[in-house]
Amino acid sequence: MIESLQLLLGGFATALTPQNLLYCVVGAIVGTLVGILPGLGPIAGIALLIPATFGLNATSALIMLAGIYYGAMYGGSTTSILMNVPGETASVITCIDGYKMAQQGRAGPALAIAALGSFVGGTIAIFGLVLIAPPLANAALAFGPPEFASLMVFAFVVLSNVTGGSLVKALMMVVVGLIFGTIGLDPVTGDARFTFGSAYLLGGIEFVAVAIGVFGLGEILVNAAKPAAQLEQHVTVPRLRDLYPSIADLKRSIGAMLRGTGIGFFTGLIPGPAPVIATYAAYTIEKRVSKHPEEFGNGAIEGVAGPETANNAATQSAFIPLFVIGIPFGPVPAILLGALLIHGVTPGPLLISERPELFWTVVASMYIGNFILLLLNLPFVPLFANMLRVPKKVMLPLIMLFCVTGMFSVNNSVLDIWMMLGCGVLGYILRGWAYEGAPLLLGLVLGPKLEVAFRQSVMISHGDFGIFFARPVSLALLLATLAFLVFPLVRFAWRSRRGAATTKEESR
Amino acid sequence: MTSAIALFLFGGLTAALSLQLPIGTLRAPGTGLFPLALGVMLMALAAAHAVQLHLSRSKAPGEPAAKKASNGATARVALFMAVVALATALLQVIGYVASAFLLMLGLLRVFRVKWSTATLVAALAAAASHLLFVLWLKIPMPPGPLGF
Repeated sequence: MIESLQLLLGGFATALTPQNLLYCVVGAIVGTLVGILPGLGPIAGIALLIPATFGLNATSALIMLAGIYYGAMYGGSTTSILMNVPGETASVITCIDGYKMAQQGRAGPALAIAALGSFVGGTIAIFGLVLIAPPLANAALAFGPPEFASLMVFAFVVLSNVTGGSLVKALMMVVVGLIFGTIGLDPVTGDARFTFGSAYLLGGIEFVAVAIGVFGLGEILVNAAKPAAQLEQHVTVPRLRDLYPSIADLKRSIGAMLRGTGIGFFTGLIPGPAPVIATYAAYTIEKRVSKHPEEFGNGAIEGVAGPETANNAATQSAFIPLFVIGIPFGPVPAILLGALLIHGVTPGPLLISERPELFWTVVASMYIGNFILLLLNLPFVPLFANMLRVPKKVMLPLIMLFCVTGMFSVNNSVLDIWMMLGCGVLGYILRGWAYEGAPLLLGLVLGPKLEVAFRQSVMISHGDFGIFFARPVSLALLLATLAFLVFPLVRFAWRSRRGAATTKEESR
Repeated sequence: MTSAIALFLFGGLTAALSLQLPIGTLRAPGTGLFPLALGVMLMALAAAHAVQLHLSRSKAPGEPAAKKASNGATARVALFMAVVALATALLQVIGYVASAFLLMLGLLRVFRVKWSTATLVAALAAAASHLLFVLWLKIPMPPGPLGF
C-alpha cells in the first residue's frame, strides 16, 4: 500500500509535466465535447483521435485517450438535461429527471450535481483502482492460456447478456467480430487467411475503421435518414449564476453519489458496457431507497446524482481489467487496448511491474483530469452548451469530414476510408435490425487473442479439451459462463409457463 | 428474418472458405480450424434466432416484424453515402482541400442548406481542416494539382 502511494506520487510528478498536463486538458475538453455532441460517442471519439496520438509517447497518448473516455461521461449529461437527448448511451437515464428539472427551470442545479457526482464517483473509483490493481495483477500472473481463453469466453457471454435486447443476437455479433478478427495473417503460423490475394487485408481488418464506421458513421447515417426538418434542435443555455445547487440539493445528493460510486465501481469490474449498466442500476436503487419515490420521473435530483456518479465510477474501474489482465470488458476499453498495442504497450499482469511509470502516471492523470473536468463543467457548461446551437445539418457534415480525415491519417490509406464507409453501412443496417455493435467490436479486438489462447491450450494438452475444466480458475469461469447462458433460458421458460397459466385462468 | 438468413449465409460462407485452408488436428490446429468453428457457430445461432422469430410471430401474428423505414430514408442515406464515396474516390486526384470542400458542399446540400451558406461553410471547413490536419498536425493528406 505504502509502495503504491509512493509510486502514485511519482506518477503525479510525471503527469504534471507541461506536456502531459496539456494532453490531459486536451483529452478532458475533447471528451466533454464528444459527450455533449449527440452522434459522437466515446468509442468513435477515441477512435478518431488515435491518429492524432501517433507523434506522442505511449503515456501521453493514453493520458489523452483516457481523458476523452471519462470526459465524455461528464459531457454526456449536458444534452440529456438541456435537450432530453443523451450525448452518449451512459446518459440516457439522466434524461428522465434531468430534463424534468430543466423544464422546471432547474437545469443549473441538475448540471452542477451531474458534474459534482461525476467528480466524486471518478476520484473515489481511482482510489479503488490504486488499491486493487497491484494485488490483482500479481494474482493474474498465475493465468495461463486456458484461463485467458475461458475469461474471454466469459466476457463475451456476459457482455451479450447485459447489452440489452436478444442474447442470441448479441452472441451472433460477437461471432461476426471474431470472424472479422480471423482475416489477415494467422497469429500462430503466419499464413494468409481470407485475404483473397489483397495485400491490404494481410494486416487484418483495421479496427479503427470498424469502430468509426459502425459507431460514428452508423449514428451519422441514422441522422441523415431523417428529413431535414427533423434535424432542427432547440436548446436553452443556463446562465452561470443559475448553476449553483442549493444546500437542500446537495444534502439529497450526497447519499446518491456515494451509492452510485459503489455501484459504478463494481459494475466496471464485470464484462459489459459498464457505464450504461451502472446508470440503470443506480437509478433503480435510488428510486427504491428514496423517501420520495413519487418524485422520480418528475425531477428528483437523486435521479441525476446517482446515475451520473455511477457512470463515471464505472468508467474508472473499467481500466482495472484492461490494465491488470489485458482483457477489455467493454467496447471503449477495447478501443483503448487497440491504441495501446499501436503504441507498443501490451497491457496485462506484467504491465504494472514492467511499465510502472506508464501505469502510475496514467492513474495520477485521472485524478488531475477529473479535477480539470469539474472546473470545466461547472463554470464553462454554458460555453459548451452553446456548441449545441450549431445546427445538426452543419454539424453532421463536419463530423463526417473529421471521420474521413482521421481514418486516412491512421495508415495514410484511402482503402481504410472505403473500409470505414463499408462498416458505416453495416452499422446502419445493424441498427435497423436492432443489433448491437459493441459485441462485434469486442469480438474483433479480442478474436486474435482468443484464438492464440485456445490453440496454445489445446497444444499444451495434446488436443484434450479437459484442460479447460481441469484448472480451477478456468473451470469457475466456464461454470459462470454456463450460468449466464442458461439463466435467460430458464427465465424464458418460467415466463412462458406463467403466461400460459394466466391465459388458462382467464379462459376459465 | 432477413437478418437471420443473412447471418446464416455469412456463417456458411465462412465455414466453406475455412475448409479450403489447412484444418489440422485438435493436437495441432491448422489455420482453418478456428474460423470453421466460428462459421458453424454463427450458422447455429442464426438458425436458433430464426426459430425464435418464427415462434414469436406465430404467438403474435398481427405484429409487424420490424419497423419500416420512414419515407425516403433509404434515398437520403444513399445520397449521403454517394457524396462521401465521390469525395473519397477523388481524394487522391483533386487533393485534400478540394475533396474536403466537395464533401462539405455535397453533404450540406443533402441537408438542404442554401447554396450560398453551404458554399461559405464548405470553404471555411476545407481551409480550417487544411490548417489543422496538414499544417499543424502534419498529417500527409494527398495534395492536389495545385500542391494542396
